[in-house]
Amino acid sequence: MTDARKLQGDKLSEAEAIERAKQGDAEAFQLLYGLHKRRVYSLCLRMTANTAEAEDLTQEAFLQLFRKIATFRGESAFSTWLHRMAVNVVLMQLRKKSLPVVPLEETLENEEEAPKKELGAQDPVLSGSIDRLRLQNAVDALPPGYRRIFVLHDVEGYEHNEIAAMVGCSIGNSKSQLHKARMKLRESLKTSRAEKAAKP
Amino acid sequence: MNCAEFQEFLPEGFEGGQTVEQESHLRSCPMCSGLVADLELITREARQLQETAEPSPRVWNYIEITLRQEGIIREPHLGPALVPARPQRWHMAWLAPVAALVLVAFGIVVYQRGSSDSRLAAHLDTTAPSLVAIAPTSPKPSNLNNKNEDDQLLAAVASRSPAMQAQYASNLQNVNAYIKDAEESAQANPNDEEAQQIVMDAYEQRATVYEMALDRSLP
Repeated sequence: MTDARKLQGDKLSEAEAIERAKQGDAEAFQLLYGLHKRRVYSLCLRMTANTAEAEDLTQEAFLQLFRKIATFRGESAFSTWLHRMAVNVVLMQLRKKSLPVVPLEETLENEEEAPKKELGAQDPVLSGSIDRLRLQNAVDALPPGYRRIFVLHDVEGYEHNEIAAMVGCSIGNSKSQLHKARMKLRESLKTSRAEKAAKP
Repeated sequence: MNCAEFQEFLPEGFEGGQTVEQESHLRSCPMCSGLVADLELITREARQLQETAEPSPRVWNYIEITLRQEGIIREPHLGPALVPARPQRWHMAWLAPVAALVLVAFGIVVYQRGSSDSRLAAHLDTTAPSLVAIAPTSPKPSNLNNKNEDDQLLAAVASRSPAMQAQYASNLQNVNAYIKDAEESAQANPNDEEAQQIVMDAYEQRATVYEMALDRSLP
């Protein structure tokens, strides 16, 4: 059962919580926070790969949301609204950190960061499933530019046109960086699997 | 089509349709089909990461304190009623200075009477920590002073709402760490008005924690 359904079954729907939050009801704020904290925090953590920064950004995202909650009219899903706000907070922070501004294409096309092509080489595949912790570590180890696009597209489910608008790059660039991120993850996962297999 | 040509196409065409030529290569090439299978697996498993982590309680504490300071939260929690309804909610803005003034006045009286008034001392020893005695002090870099006040507050909370003590201990630890950071930053940059303001904000947060603790734990 999802948190939202549990909430509904017990006492308060998300819609009711939103209306009560607009009146300044502390419990409603806490309920909304409880419903969405994991998703927002996970997004921040995946994007920054730093727990302290992720917590700060989570705080900032929820504070921005709660300050503006009176303007929420319900045209879009509340979760969509919140997550878009969280993404904006994170991207804004990442932009501040990476000042002076360098064109995205330039930072992402760094040859050292690009995954190596292995045409014609022996190429064992990843079979079955991927352990979540290993995948998490591999994503955290991605270069920030790749990680940003991968998290937005493959984890959060944004389309390339949305990512291009949010990040400030072309759609083609978003597709290209996503592919490189996946290739790099594949290499990283294969390496960690081989290391694990080599251990006695 | 060879492998290099196929892989050149992948970034653009992974999620879209493939041409007959590309499909034919994919069927006949174990390396490229293995690569595509891996990329599909990574894409599928990535959704696992959507809700993997839980923020620490510090995050909500900070949000709640800030919302109260900004007046966005306008009423007490409606959860388990720890405090009977009161006609008017105490307001942080005047609680701290008033409590501080009463504390100063009380201190003067005690000082004037001196140690000879043993009855007052005996009374203080046997009385539960009072609101006056545990009001937070105004900004000053004294960790020892803060700790004494915090201990008194936590003792008061423990005597009235034992279940809340751990939560407030954590709140105070966080806000004191914030004060420490802010004071260090202000000392390092004595001419930075923003740093000074952050110190004041940090102490206001501490006053809010006190207000919340007293508000919820008073009988």
